[in-house]
Amino acid sequence: MKALAYSKDRAIPWLIRFGAWVLSMVFLFAFRVPVEAAVTVSVLLLLGAVGAEVWIYFRNKRFYNGLLANLEGLDQKYLLPEMLEEPDFTEGRIVYEVLRETDKSMCERIAEYRRENADFREYIELWVHEIKLPVASLQLMCHNDGQAKYAEQLRRVDDCVENVLYYARSGSAEKDYLIKPVSLSRAFADIAIRSRAELQQRGMTLRTENLGVSVLTDGKWLAFILGQLMGNSMKYGAKEIAVTAEDFPDRTVLRFRDDGIGISESDLPYIFEKSFTGENGHASGRATGMGLYLVKKLCGKLGHSVTANSEKGKYTEIVLTFGKNEMYKMP
Amino acid sequence: MKRILVIEDEPALRDELCTLLRHAGHEPVAVTEWNGVLDQMINAAADLILLDINLPEVSGETLLEQFRKSAETPVIILTSRTAELDEVLSMSRGADDFITKPYNPTILLLRISAVLKRSKKTAAVQTYRGAEVSAVKGSIIRDGMEQILTKNEMIIFQLLLDRQGAIVTRDELMTALWDNDEFVSDSALSVNVSRLRAKLAELGLDDAVETRKKQGYVLK
Repeated sequence: MKALAYSKDRAIPWLIRFGAWVLSMVFLFAFRVPVEAAVTVSVLLLLGAVGAEVWIYFRNKRFYNGLLANLEGLDQKYLLPEMLEEPDFTEGRIVYEVLRETDKSMCERIAEYRRENADFREYIELWVHEIKLPVASLQLMCHNDGQAKYAEQLRRVDDCVENVLYYARSGSAEKDYLIKPVSLSRAFADIAIRSRAELQQRGMTLRTENLGVSVLTDGKWLAFILGQLMGNSMKYGAKEIAVTAEDFPDRTVLRFRDDGIGISESDLPYIFEKSFTGENGHASGRATGMGLYLVKKLCGKLGHSVTANSEKGKYTEIVLTFGKNEMYKMP
Repeated sequence: MKRILVIEDEPALRDELCTLLRHAGHEPVAVTEWNGVLDQMINAAADLILLDINLPEVSGETLLEQFRKSAETPVIILTSRTAELDEVLSMSRGADDFITKPYNPTILLLRISAVLKRSKKTAAVQTYRGAEVSAVKGSIIRDGMEQILTKNEMIIFQLLLDRQGAIVTRDELMTALWDNDEFVSDSALSVNVSRLRAKLAELGLDDAVETRKKQGYVLK
């Protein structure tokens, strides 16, 4: 609270006081009160008024500066009312009440949205479980009746369903993953088998190196992430996918590299952004701009870092880095 | 032939699952009455149980927990729940494997035989027409002659041996190889099969692996 700005706010009361003093003086002279008495009364009144003003100034200053300092120090500004002590003067109490009421109403509103969001997510999970039943039945029917060509389309349906599921999971505020040691080779083999028909149809080869390590992650989420990367490689003309892991004392680095059409330098910084399709997306028309966005978001939630290197026409490499944490290690 | 108890409440899925198992040479028994499932599990005298988690009346997890108090029969959980937590909980309650729907049918069959094998504690050395087959060493010994098989050849031979006399499709062989991190191509599979044939022939096991046009291979 600046003293000068505050004084300006107080100009009107002082003008009123000044007016009252001038009138008092007129009366005093009219009643022929001695000048000395009038001066003494004036000085006393002035001292009293200044004293009161200073007191009010410091009380307000303490309250408002406290308010501002709290606001400054808070990461989540809406928590401000929680940090305040109830002031002992009316003006302060009004501000305090207003803040608390606004905050309460906002918290209720947020809780309502959060609940709606959680409900929606819960419904998506339920819906996904439901739709997986007919998909599973159809998949078995294809196999039992020897109708391989339907199986491929079913796999695409399942992919779309998984996308919805993980989109819902990625946006949820709850922690619904489970970190434990997951074998990289197991996770990769699972998604390779899933895409085997398409990989072989495209004459693609897979090369893995040093995948015999385990990383701390959620197995299901990792499978989804690898599935997205595999899908991209197939979509963008790769003939070979090379997956290599490198183990360091504090982290494990997984490189997912393909020899597809690559990403232009101008597009590279944006590939993890939502709905970004870039040159390749426009050319192929199959891009949704969701795949890598989801990868980045899920990695973020799991605490992994993800980066990309590429050279147009040569290669694309997605690098996942998994941290190691002593806390997770079982004795 | 193994007796497999199928506990799945979705009728279409249950029927197809039974067909799949029958085609693979197993004897499926389906649960259709949802009262007293636990007793049915105990009395079925099954070699293996396929158990869904979401069941009417009772949860698969509770069933498994109660079942494990009295029986050792291997149980594979089949579920459309796709959270890691479900898997960890199921395994801690005594499941032998956990497979999410929709499943690759070939993978499901491979997992079933893997679990059956583990539960039987199959001897490290199997025999085939007078030859000793050691999967661990990757070798076949017959009349004092030894042939060392590569990892791929062993996977192929093992699958053929487990299903001796029945047709094993190329798709199944391929899936088994990929499941073991050997991402071979179609032509590489053919090469591996002919190398396996040559090695078996050296041991005097000529024509052991027969090709069935457009179907697969049979180990005689």
